[in-house]
Amino acid sequence: MIRPLVRLLLLVAAIVLLPLLVRPVVAAEIWIFSIAAMALNLIFGYTGMLSFGQATFFGLAAYTSGLMMIHWHAPLLAVLAAGTLVGVVAAAAIGYVCIQRVGTYFIMLTFGFNQMFYFIAYKWTSVTGGDDGLPGIPRPPFAIGPLAVRLDSSLRYYVFVAAIFLLTFYAMKRIVDSPLGVIFQSIRENPGRAAAVGYDVKRYKWLAFTIAGGFTGLAGVLYSMMFGIVPLEAISWIISGDIVFMVLIGGIGNLYGPLLGAAAFKWLSEAVSVVWERWPLILGVALVLVVLFLRGGLVEALTRLREAFGGMPPRREPREGAPVGVTAETEATS
Amino acid sequence: MNVSLFAGAILNGLVTGMLYALMGVGLSLILGLLNIPNFAHGVLYAIGAYVMVSTVKTFGFLAGVLAALVAVAVLGAGIEAFGVRRLSRVHPDYILLLTFGLSLILTEAIILVWGPVGITSQPPSLLAGGVDLGVTVYPKYRLAVMIVTAALVAACYLFVTRTRYGAIIRAGIEDKDMAAALGINIRRVFTLTFATGAGLAAFGGALMAPVRGLQPTMGLDILPFAFVVVVLGGLGSLPGAILAGLLVGVVQSLMTAIWPPGADASVFALMTLGIIARPQGLLGHR
Repeated sequence: MIRPLVRLLLLVAAIVLLPLLVRPVVAAEIWIFSIAAMALNLIFGYTGMLSFGQATFFGLAAYTSGLMMIHWHAPLLAVLAAGTLVGVVAAAAIGYVCIQRVGTYFIMLTFGFNQMFYFIAYKWTSVTGGDDGLPGIPRPPFAIGPLAVRLDSSLRYYVFVAAIFLLTFYAMKRIVDSPLGVIFQSIRENPGRAAAVGYDVKRYKWLAFTIAGGFTGLAGVLYSMMFGIVPLEAISWIISGDIVFMVLIGGIGNLYGPLLGAAAFKWLSEAVSVVWERWPLILGVALVLVVLFLRGGLVEALTRLREAFGGMPPRREPREGAPVGVTAETEATS
Repeated sequence: MNVSLFAGAILNGLVTGMLYALMGVGLSLILGLLNIPNFAHGVLYAIGAYVMVSTVKTFGFLAGVLAALVAVAVLGAGIEAFGVRRLSRVHPDYILLLTFGLSLILTEAIILVWGPVGITSQPPSLLAGGVDLGVTVYPKYRLAVMIVTAALVAACYLFVTRTRYGAIIRAGIEDKDMAAALGINIRRVFTLTFATGAGLAAFGGALMAPVRGLQPTMGLDILPFAFVVVVLGGLGSLPGAILAGLLVGVVQSLMTAIWPPGADASVFALMTLGIIARPQGLLGHR
C-alpha cells in the first residue's frame, strides 16, 4: 500500500492539476460527486447497505438551496447549512423506515422513496419547475463578516468546491477511522455478531444512513449553484444510479475508491457525451463489464497493475466471493 | 365526483392493477429464486411493447403480442444464462448492478432502434370502441386487457401452486441447495423462471401499448411501481403480488381522478404505511 502521506499529497496534486486537464466546470462536478460517492461509500462500502435512493437527499437539498437563494437571496453559508440539514432530516426520516428491512428490501425501499420524491418534484411544477427544472439560481459570494470573495467565474467556484471537498474528505476520514467507523464495518462484516457483542445494529445503521444523507445534501447544494439550475434529473433515480456506479467502478470500502470512480465517471461522460448523445449505452456496457470481470473496481485494477510491475504483493481485500454488502442478515431474513 | 367518473376510475385502476400484478408475479418469482430485484424488468416490459408495435403491421395483433412474449422470454433466458449465472458465487448486490447496467443498455438500444420520440399504437379493430356497462361507457379493449391479464395471472398462480414444475419452483425459493441436493437441475429452473418473468413483463407491455402509448423510458417509469407491488405483497408471495397490484392500481387511479399531482406519491405513501404495519408484506410470511 502507498503510505498515507503520499496518498494525501497525490490527492492535493489532483485537486491542483484537475482544472488544467478538464474544464473547471467538469472538475468542480467531479469533487461534488466525490462527496456524494463518499457518502454512499460510508453506508454501502463501510456499513453494507446498498442505497439506491441517494438522489432523494441530493435533490431535496438542491431544490431547498435553489429556492432559498431565488426567493430569499439567502447567503452562501446559510444554504450550505440548510441543504446539509435537509439531507440529514430527510435521511433520518426515510432511513428509519428503510433500515427496518435488509438486503433486497432495503434497496427497493430506498429506490421507492426516491421515486416518490421524484414524482412530487415532477408534478409540483409551481415550486420545482417540473420537467423544465428550477432555473435562475444565483451564486452568492463566500462571505464571513467583512470578508467576501466572489465566486462568479467557474475557476473561483472550483476552488471553493475543492475546499469544501477537502473538509468533507477530512471529516469522512475521521468518521471511518474512529471507533464508530469500526462499528459500521463490523455491521457490514457480520450484523449478527455485532449485535451479539452488544451494539444496537439498527441504531448504527440509522446513524450511518443519516450522516450520509447530510453529506449527500451538501453535494446537492454545491450542484445547484454550479449551473444555476436544478434539473429534474437531480432528484431522479438516474443520479442515484450514477452515484452507485461511481462507488462501484472506483472500488468499494476504501476512502479513495469513490474519488477515482467519480473522476472516471464524470470525465468519461463528458468526453463521450460530446461525441455521442447515447453515452448511457457505453456506461451500461462499462457497468456490466466491471460487474462481470473487475468487481474490485479501479482500485483493484491499480493494485493488479502494480503487482504486474513487481510491486508489493497486494492485500487481497475484495476477495472473490466475499460479500460487499449485508450477508448473514440478508440470508437469515430473506 | 359522479358515479360514472368513479366507476371509470375504478375500472382503469383494475386494468393498471392487473398489469402491476402481472409484472409483480414475474418480479416476485425472480426475486424469490435469485434474491435480486431485477432492475431490467421495466425495460423488458418496454421492449415487449416495441416488438409488438413492429410486428403488428405485418402479422396482426395476436401474432404481435406472441412475438413480444417469445422474443423477450428468449432475451431473459440469455440474460440469466450469460450474465446472472456467472455471478451466482458472488454477492447478490452485483447481480442487481448487472441488471441495472442491462437496463441502461436496453433503454438506449430502444432509442437507437425506434427513436427517442414516443409512438402510439391502435387496438385491433375487433376491440375498437366502447361498451355500455350501465354506470359508464368503457373501452372494449381495456376490458379485454383486464380479462386476459387476470386469466394469465390466475394461470401463473395455478401453475406455481398446482403443478409439479410449480412445486420445483417453490422448492427452489424455499431452499435452493436442498432442491439441488434432491437432484433438481436448479440452474435450469432459474433460467426458465427468469425467461417466464421476462415474457410476462413483455406480454403486459404489448397489451398496454395501445392504452398507454410507447416511450423509450416507459420501462423505467413502471419499474418503481412493480417494486412497490412486490414489497407490499410480500417476498415470493404470488397472492400477495396480485392483491398488492390491484390495490396499487386502484389507489393510483382514484387519486388521479381526485387529485392528480398526488397520484404517484400516494402509491409510495401506501407502501410506507404497509411496510411499517406489516414489514413482511401483506401476504408474506418472512
